[in-house]
Amino acid sequence: MRIGIVCPYSFDVPGGVQNHVRDLAEALLELGHQVSVLAAAEKEEDLPDYVVPAGGAMPVPYNGSVARLSFFGPISAARVRRWLREGQFDVLHVHEPITPSLSLLACLAARGPVVATFHTAITRSRFVAAAHAPLQLVLEKITARIAVSALARKVQVEHLGGGAVEIPNGVNVARFASATPLPGWEEGQRAPTLGFLGRFTEPRKGFGILLSAFADLVTSRPDLRLLVAGPGDPEEVLERVPAQVAERVVFLGMLSEVDKPRMLRSVDLYIAPNTGGESFGMILTEAMAAGTPVLASDLDAFRRVLDGGSAGELFPVGDAAALAAAAGRLLDDPARRAELVARARVVVARYDWAVIARRVLEVYQTAIEAASGGVTDEDPALEEFG
Amino acid sequence: MRAMWRVVGVLIVIILVAAYLIWTAARVKRLHQRAAAAYAALDAQLVRRAVAAATLADTAPWLGERAEQLRATAQAALDADQAERELAENDLTKLLRDLDMSGWETTKPVMEVVNTSRRVALARQVHTDLVRDALALRRRPLVRMLRLARRHPPPAYFDIGDTVLPMDLTPVDLPR
Repeated sequence: MRIGIVCPYSFDVPGGVQNHVRDLAEALLELGHQVSVLAAAEKEEDLPDYVVPAGGAMPVPYNGSVARLSFFGPISAARVRRWLREGQFDVLHVHEPITPSLSLLACLAARGPVVATFHTAITRSRFVAAAHAPLQLVLEKITARIAVSALARKVQVEHLGGGAVEIPNGVNVARFASATPLPGWEEGQRAPTLGFLGRFTEPRKGFGILLSAFADLVTSRPDLRLLVAGPGDPEEVLERVPAQVAERVVFLGMLSEVDKPRMLRSVDLYIAPNTGGESFGMILTEAMAAGTPVLASDLDAFRRVLDGGSAGELFPVGDAAALAAAAGRLLDDPARRAELVARARVVVARYDWAVIARRVLEVYQTAIEAASGGVTDEDPALEEFG
Repeated sequence: MRAMWRVVGVLIVIILVAAYLIWTAARVKRLHQRAAAAYAALDAQLVRRAVAAATLADTAPWLGERAEQLRATAQAALDADQAERELAENDLTKLLRDLDMSGWETTKPVMEVVNTSRRVALARQVHTDLVRDALALRRRPLVRMLRLARRHPPPAYFDIGDTVLPMDLTPVDLPR
C-alpha cells in the first residue's frame, strides 16, 4: 500500500504526535508498505528518509501547552499539493486535522480515501467553536476517523459530530523491554528510586503532588531517591521543598529517545501524578513495556490503560497523602511489584506498534473500499460543472 | 462612469453567487456519491460476515445445536431484501455477540467471523459519518430552498449494533 501521512508538528522536536507518527510510519514500513511523511521541520538534514519536510514551524499556545505548528499559508499549501501529486497515495492519513496546520491543508486539498487521527481530548477549543462551519468542509473530506483514546473519541462525537474508531497509541515494546539502566542506576546497585518523566513545571503534570508525597516519604526513608527527566528549570520546583528533600531529587534534563527507556528501567516505581489533560497516557505503556511497576492518578485514561488497576496501581487524583501511602506500600512489597509487572507485560502487548499498525491498516482498507480510486491533489468539484 | 461601475459590481456579485451555488451543488452531489460508495463497501463486508458465520456453522462441531440457529440467521441475512436487511443483520450481530467462542479463538472459522465483524463495524462507522454529512448538507436552508439535492435520494443510516469483540482477539490475522 502507498501511504501518505501528514504530521502537523515539527518533526525534529520531540512530542507525542510526532513520536506517534514516526513509530507508526516505521511499523508500516516494517510491514512492507511504502510510506511518506509530510511534516514541518526546523533542521531538514537530520530527518529520516521517509520524511518530506514542509518548512518551518511556529510556536502556538494550545490547550495549555506550547505546540509547534507548521506554517499555515500559500507556500505550505503548494508543498502539500505537490507532495500529494507526486506521492500517488492509496490512502492519506492526517493527524490532528482540525488545528490550523499542514494536516488541515492536506485535508482541504485532497480527494479520495482520507483517514484522520484525533489525538487531543480538548473539551473546548476556541478554534473549533469559532470555525464550526468551515471545519465542516474539512471533516467532510475525511473518510474514516481514528481517536487515540476513549476521551478523544468522546470529544470527537460530542463536539465534531462524527464517530471514530478507537485505536490507542502504540509502544515499541521490544525497545523498552531490552534497554539497559543508566550507569550507576542498575537494579541492586541503586537505592530505592521513584521515577517521573515529563514537563515537571506544568501544573497538570502533577509534579508538585509527587514532590510533596516524596517529601513525606523521605522523612522515614532517608535513602529514597526521585529520578526526574523532562524539560524545565529544576530550581523552579525545588524552591518549594526543604534542602534535605531537594538533594534526594536527581534531574536528568531532557532525555533522548534512546535514554528514555533506559531511564524507565532505572527506577523501582514509576509515578504518574497527572491531574488531567491526558488524552491517553502513553508514558504508562512505556513504563509497562520497560517492566517498571506503575503508580498513577486515577484518571479515566490511566485506569483504562492500566486495565482497571490490575496492571498498575491507582491513587485518587491530586491526593499527595494517598500517593505517599501507596508508594511506600509498593516499595516495601517486591512481590506485589512483580505481580504488577507480570500483568503489565500481558496488557502492554496489545499496545505494541506491530499490533496497532495492523489495526490502523484495517482502517486504511476500510477507507479505500469506501472511496473510489486513490488520493489526488485536487478537488474536481468545479471542473465537474466546467 | 458611475453606472458602469455599478454594472461591474452587480456582475461580480452575480459571478460570486453563481460560483457558490455551483460549488454547493457539486458538494451535494459528491457527498451523496460518497455515501453510496460507503454503502456498497458496507454491503460487501456484511456479505463477507454472513458467509463467515455460515461457514462457522458448517465447520464447528463444538457449536452443537447452536449451529442450526447460526446457519439460519446467516442465511436470513444473506437473503434479506432492502427493507428487512437491517433487522436480519442485527439478528446476526446479536447472535454472534452472545456466542461463546472461548477456547476456539484461534481456529480459522472463528478468526474469520471475528475479523469480518470488525470490518463490518469499521465500514458502518464510515457509512454513518458520510450519511450524517450528507443529511446535514440537505438540511441547509440554501440547499432546501433551491432544491439542490432533488436529484439525489436522501441516504439512510444503516442502524445495527456492533459486535463487541475482545481486544485480545484483534491482533490475529490482521492485514499485512
